[in-house]
Amino acid sequence: MSNAVQTSWAAQVHGAAKIYGSGENEVRALDHVTVGFEKGAFTAIMGPSGSGKSTLMQCAAGLDRLTAGTAFIGDVDITKLGEKALTLLRRDKVGFIFQQFNLLPTLTAEENITFPLDLAGRKPDPAWMTHVVNTVGLSDRLHHKPSELSGGQQQRVAVARALVERPEIIFADEPTGNLDSTSSAEILSFMEGAVKEFGQTVVMVTHDPVAASHASRVLFLADGRIVDELMAPTRDSVLDRMRNLGD
Amino acid sequence: MFSYALKSLRANITRLVATALAVILGIGFLASGLMLTDAMRSGLTGDVEEQYQNVDFAIIATASSEQSSGMDFQLTVPESVLATARATPGVEAAAGEIQADARVLRPDGTTANLRSQGRSWIADSELNPLSLDEGSAPKGSAQVVLDRKLASEAGASVGDTVSVQTPAGTKQFKVSGISSFGRQDALDDGGTISFSEETAVQVLNAGTPGFSDVLLRTSGDPATVQAALEEALPTSVAIQTGEQFVSDAAESASAFISLLRPVLQGFAYLSMFVAAFVIFNTFSVVVTQRFRELALIRAVGGTPAQVRRSLIFEGMAIGVVASALGIVVGAGLAIGLQALLRQFDLEIPGAGVKISTYTVVLCMLIGVVVTTLSVIVPAFRAGRTKPVEAMRSSAVDTSGSSAVRAVFGAIFLLGAIALLLANRFVGVQWFYLTFGALFLFIGLFIGGPLLARLFAILVRPIMALFGMTGRLAADNAVRNPKRTATTANALVIGLFLVTLVTVSGEAMKTSLVDQLSSASSPDFIVSSQGAIDPKLVSSIDKTPGVTNTAAIKSSVAVESTGQATFVSAASLDELTKSAGLKVTSGSSDAVASGAGIAVPDFSNFGGGALSSPGAIGAGLGDVVILRTLDGQELSLPIVAVYEGSLESFVGNIMNPETFKSVVGEKPVSQVFVRVEPGQADAVGQDLEKVLQGYTGVEVQPGNFIGQIVGTVFDFLIAAVNALLAMSVIVALVGIVNTMTLSIFERRRELGMVRALGMTRQQVGRMVRFEAVLIGLLGTLVGMGAGILLSWVVISSIADGAIDLSFNWARVGLIFLVGILVGVVASILPARRATRLNMLDAMSEA
Ligand SMILES: Nc1ncnc2c1ncn2[C@@H]1O[C@H](COP(=O)(O)OP(=O)(O)OP(=O)(O)O)[C@@H](O)[C@H]1O
Ligand SMILES: [Mg+2]
Repeated sequence: MSNAVQTSWAAQVHGAAKIYGSGENEVRALDHVTVGFEKGAFTAIMGPSGSGKSTLMQCAAGLDRLTAGTAFIGDVDITKLGEKALTLLRRDKVGFIFQQFNLLPTLTAEENITFPLDLAGRKPDPAWMTHVVNTVGLSDRLHHKPSELSGGQQQRVAVARALVERPEIIFADEPTGNLDSTSSAEILSFMEGAVKEFGQTVVMVTHDPVAASHASRVLFLADGRIVDELMAPTRDSVLDRMRNLGD
Repeated sequence: MFSYALKSLRANITRLVATALAVILGIGFLASGLMLTDAMRSGLTGDVEEQYQNVDFAIIATASSEQSSGMDFQLTVPESVLATARATPGVEAAAGEIQADARVLRPDGTTANLRSQGRSWIADSELNPLSLDEGSAPKGSAQVVLDRKLASEAGASVGDTVSVQTPAGTKQFKVSGISSFGRQDALDDGGTISFSEETAVQVLNAGTPGFSDVLLRTSGDPATVQAALEEALPTSVAIQTGEQFVSDAAESASAFISLLRPVLQGFAYLSMFVAAFVIFNTFSVVVTQRFRELALIRAVGGTPAQVRRSLIFEGMAIGVVASALGIVVGAGLAIGLQALLRQFDLEIPGAGVKISTYTVVLCMLIGVVVTTLSVIVPAFRAGRTKPVEAMRSSAVDTSGSSAVRAVFGAIFLLGAIALLLANRFVGVQWFYLTFGALFLFIGLFIGGPLLARLFAILVRPIMALFGMTGRLAADNAVRNPKRTATTANALVIGLFLVTLVTVSGEAMKTSLVDQLSSASSPDFIVSSQGAIDPKLVSSIDKTPGVTNTAAIKSSVAVESTGQATFVSAASLDELTKSAGLKVTSGSSDAVASGAGIAVPDFSNFGGGALSSPGAIGAGLGDVVILRTLDGQELSLPIVAVYEGSLESFVGNIMNPETFKSVVGEKPVSQVFVRVEPGQADAVGQDLEKVLQGYTGVEVQPGNFIGQIVGTVFDFLIAAVNALLAMSVIVALVGIVNTMTLSIFERRRELGMVRALGMTRQQVGRMVRFEAVLIGLLGTLVGMGAGILLSWVVISSIADGAIDLSFNWARVGLIFLVGILVGVVASILPARRATRLNMLDAMSEA
């Protein structure tokens, strides 16, 4: 394990292990995984259900703690951070898009977008804000409450929220899992666009080969290990690899 | 699936505890209220009910039997009635009660208690309200029984010989026994001296036969006995059932109770309200939540009706068990509260708790009914929601904001304000006041959710100053306006009443005390149970700041009719200067010259403690005939009448010579003192110093009635507030419950904001803000309503005459208490919220 942390990684884990339970019930959700997420890249994580995708993402994002190994965001070893420092790091350096329950129901779309900045007591850059909002096509929905938005629109708000604070890295766990194919495609192209145009780093967990094909690199997980990797994926090549993994 | 079941069970246990706790506390509150009021009631009425419980009928005199000869208006039951009653079939035992003033003298010749009463000892032990603790019943003409307290005041024990002053004169009696009255010492405030029946007739009635009432113990059918009695007895007497007699006796045993009863009853209703609120609120939250989960069960095939039925059974079971526990908790609370008040020297009457059947039945009934209703209402409501809705996450609830609600809420609120304000302009009328208050509450309950929203709109900009956490807290507080309103309303009721009682009670007290102070009274009364040394009288006179004194000698004299009457030797002029005594008719010179006596005028007062000619309407020109020490009768014309407020201190006033010829040589027993205006406090302290070394002599502020009234009000305010404090505690628990459940509902959202970078401290602060806001809402609405009503009440008592201002310090204190409730209520939910596992919270489906 090298001590010299390479700064071209937005986030990385070294020898990451996560064990749930003990004795007979022991589950090795992550089994000594070492992986880095390149700055400005769009990485997809795929694998069968229960293979450890969410666990890997959560540990890399500082939502959960590893049983063993180290995790870095930028050049900060997050396994050494206390609860509060870790929270502040997430607030300032990490963006999140979840499958559902992304938004605060009492806040308008606009307020939801600026929520992490508000927590930090920062103001969004107005030009950047307008740009992001226009990109995701929410400019006429800014003052609506989440209950007045469709599922796809709600996910767009979540994407905008992740983009507007220009985080070091965005983690998305099945962001399109609840959406129809049209809305999915929109959300994916926004994320892809953010990577290409603004150099945003994105890590996305997905089950969908089409979704994975928007990424520049796909990691395949099985039983808590990285078992394969694919660069510049297409829908078919992803399907192909998945079949080869033999599940 | 198994782990899901376990998890669900764990969540359900939390909810079960929350709901059971709500019922336990609600019912505990109600039960303790009922128990305390029972204890107070029995403490105040004494043990009258128990002690007279064997009385089946009582014969009392009616107005037509007045022996309106001269000034003796005493209503008596003729002696012949007793014999007639005893001869009536079905009457097992009959006893006549006789009662008159009597005093026991200590060995040094001083009076043991100025307010003691003489009674005849009833031979039938079941009819006798008194019980014998020591010794034996009085026999013959030379024995008496004293009650425990009076015996110790007189320094007498069984076997001793004491001098007793009665209307028939002073005589030696042997103390044959010591009596008590239930758990108290005596039936009469100042103590009871019991004579044998024949002796009582002689010394208390001065030989005139007749009873204040006749008590009967009967057997067989009560209606037959009553008919037989009615047949046999003269029309000049009336027959009362035992219950009537007891309730009359209880009533007269304490004037307090009539004042306190509506307060206590009101308190019981209030406790019922608050209990119902807390229970209803908790269940609405829980059942709605359960139904959301049950959407799953329904999808599997359970019908809403099945689910509802099982929920209702569950609710009833909780209702029964938790209500029973609540009664136990209530007993604990009541004992605790009594102990707590005692710590603060605020003795509330009655000790221990009485758990009456009524309390148990009422508590169980209310507990089960309210709990069941609390389950049924939200269960039906939730059952109607579509599964899709039920599956949705805890979004913003827009219920409670309908136009109908707004219109009705506004109508009631405006109607209430109009009605209450009407009092201000046309004078207080119960119609306006009652309906005003009623409308106010209906308005608050219908319009509560809207008020909550309005409140949120108003506080949001202020809360936004605290950043995102403040802003979200304001939003979250009205996520479910109905729930927030119900939660806050529990506090509203408590604080409304605390404000009303404190503010207007205080004002009423000031007003009454002021009115009483303007009546005649000295600044100080120096008094002694024995004698006041003449040297002390002159030192009091010489104390700097003292402008006038009046030394008074007092004693009990006997009228020719046998009535005892209170007489004093004093100068009316001195009394005028030192105690503001007002001669309403006649002349003070005539009294001073010994031409006659002065009697108090009772036209403005209810009556005196001691019977006095003035008390029964005698006036200028009437003649009072007193027995002198040497057995002569002395006719004394009434030559002056004075305003009655000093009656209990001086009685009938005569010059020293007349006094001496009637009752003999007596020492000075009271000195009335007038001081320079504004010097009362300083002079009072000096007087205390002057009195040092004179045992048994004490100085009291002269505005005695004012003092008593003030104390009574202080007590009432304290007692009611102490009881209301519990309603505030229950409201606090209500906030804790609502908040805990809301947090449980929003756990996913809390997980999400933690992921997005909200620190634990921020989450905690957000939850605390929310609880404080709910507390603030309840406080503002409750205090607002309380202040509004107080203002109306105060301005109506004031009548422009007395300037009454709000005690803003108290109002401020109540406000702080309200805020404190919110802060305290937030501790637990905030801890729960900060300890939520972020990932668990997010991943739960
Ligand atoms: N809190 C937990 N306690 C115990 N075991 C857990 C916990 N969280 C995850 N696991 C286990 O760890 C393994 C990996 O879980 P993880 O959620 O990372 O899978 P995943 O790849 O995201 O699956 P999916 O595609 O179904 O979301 C699984 O076997 C899971 O049962
Ligand atoms: Mg997953």
